Amino acid sequence: MSKHSPDLNSLISHIALYDSQSSYEQLFKGLFPSLYRFSYCLLKSRELSEEVASDVMITLWKNRKKLTEVENIRVYAFVIARNLSLNLLNKHARQELVSIDEIQVEVTLDALNPEQLLINGELKKKLERATQSLPGKCQLVFKLIKEDGLSYKETAAILNISVKTVDAHLVTAVKKLTAILKMELNLM
Amino acid sequence: MDSNRIIELLARKMANEATPRELEELDELVAIYPDSLHYEEVLKEIWSDSGEEKPSHNLHINRLFEQHKLKFSEEFEPAAPEEEMPSIWYKKYVGVFAIACSLFLICLAALFQLNRKAVDFDTEIVSGKGMRKKITLPDGTLVWLNAGSKLSYDSDLNKKERRLVYLVGEAFFDVAHEQNRPFIVRTNKISIKVLGTAFNVKAYELDQVSEATLLRGSIELSVNNKSQQKILLKPSEKFALTENRTAKDEKTLLQDSGDLTLKIENIAPVRIAGQDYIEETSWKDDVLVFKNESFEELKPKLERWFNVQIEIAGNVPKSYRFTGIFKNEDIKEALTAMQLIKPFHFKLKADDVIIY
Repeated sequence: MSKHSPDLNSLISHIALYDSQSSYEQLFKGLFPSLYRFSYCLLKSRELSEEVASDVMITLWKNRKKLTEVENIRVYAFVIARNLSLNLLNKHARQELVSIDEIQVEVTLDALNPEQLLINGELKKKLERATQSLPGKCQLVFKLIKEDGLSYKETAAILNISVKTVDAHLVTAVKKLTAILKMELNLM
Repeated sequence: MDSNRIIELLARKMANEATPRELEELDELVAIYPDSLHYEEVLKEIWSDSGEEKPSHNLHINRLFEQHKLKFSEEFEPAAPEEEMPSIWYKKYVGVFAIACSLFLICLAALFQLNRKAVDFDTEIVSGKGMRKKITLPDGTLVWLNAGSKLSYDSDLNKKERRLVYLVGEAFFDVAHEQNRPFIVRTNKISIKVLGTAFNVKAYELDQVSEATLLRGSIELSVNNKSQQKILLKPSEKFALTENRTAKDEKTLLQDSGDLTLKIENIAPVRIAGQDYIEETSWKDDVLVFKNESFEELKPKLERWFNVQIEIAGNVPKSYRFTGIFKNEDIKEALTAMQLIKPFHFKLKADDVIIY
């Protein structure tokens, strides 16, 4: 899959062993957008999400000597992003404790190509609305798997849930989408 | 239903998580229900939009990276050239000196801490492993102290403005109500302030999780290093503070961010043999309740309950999960009963148990 940079590991070892800033730049460009999108889901603020994604990256850089010990750098980075985001939310929420289950998430399908045949404006809106009506964690699962090409196992580690639950959430999301299609396209 | 199954399989296929067996099954089903091809087409379009880089996007990320480098410019200074021998020696010396200094400070701090505790509380009640105690505090508060726990307080608790106790381990409190004198339970990680209620606190030193479960009344809880943040618990709610210690130890990268997870959940009784048990508090009635727990989760509980040392061999499947209650069983009877649920072997040698 194009979503996974195949050379993530070699980038990491370059960074860890030679302090390579150019490898770091590549890593930044590979990870930052996903981390930003993920944090945005939780924080709904461009500035804060940029800050979180940037802080995650600098954490990786500061700890570069130990990065080779990390089993899965993407999961690791996402978990830091999750924690930083939740910390921010909790700081702002003061009284109440915010947990990842209560957060309203947004999934957009706006990156669709114009050449696409099946999904036109109206249907797209309906599909988006359908995904938005899903529970927060379900949307997060959908987003991480769809947009960032993460595996069940990685998603489970990031959201701190079981692989089975990830599967269930994804199936729920896809069910919702297909239910719309079923109505729109008069399918079985 | 078939259509549900198709969707399930499609979801897995899109996520690249379908097994070859499932892909086959999907093909067979699609052959029967050709309409479902539409689903797959649309899903593919939804999926394919993501992750593709566009030129405008590239420009944007370049700018972001420049900003990032600027913001943390001190982190990206070119590495200092190799220094000569003497200065390296000097550096080493500084390091040793720093370590010596901090050791000294730690010792001082520890001494101070010990002294302080000794001064702070004059009474200490210890419940060893394998036993549970019930005590009445001078103010009439009932305390059940679980195995391997320690409660410290002042004998003149009743004369103070606030009733303060210090807990290591697990205890159930039934606090005597006094409008003007709050009752405070302090543990290593969390502090709980109450007027009159019944609640359970679990804060073992070796456990990653500190828990407080409220049965009635209300309690105000705060995490020790964030004392300005107050958390109110309602009856039947459980608060859990998890220190992500293992993650930190294995990867030792993160120092300050996100090593604590706070969670509030509702407690649900466990129903076993037609009777409801509350896992969090039934220990005080001499019943050990566990629900869907792995050996790893059970190990510290069993060790404390039966006063044994348990060793679990690597070949025991991690997926084993147990639900059950123990009342008067000894460790041998307990493990024999557990063998009925999942196959495993155990060996008893004095106070050592080996599970394999």
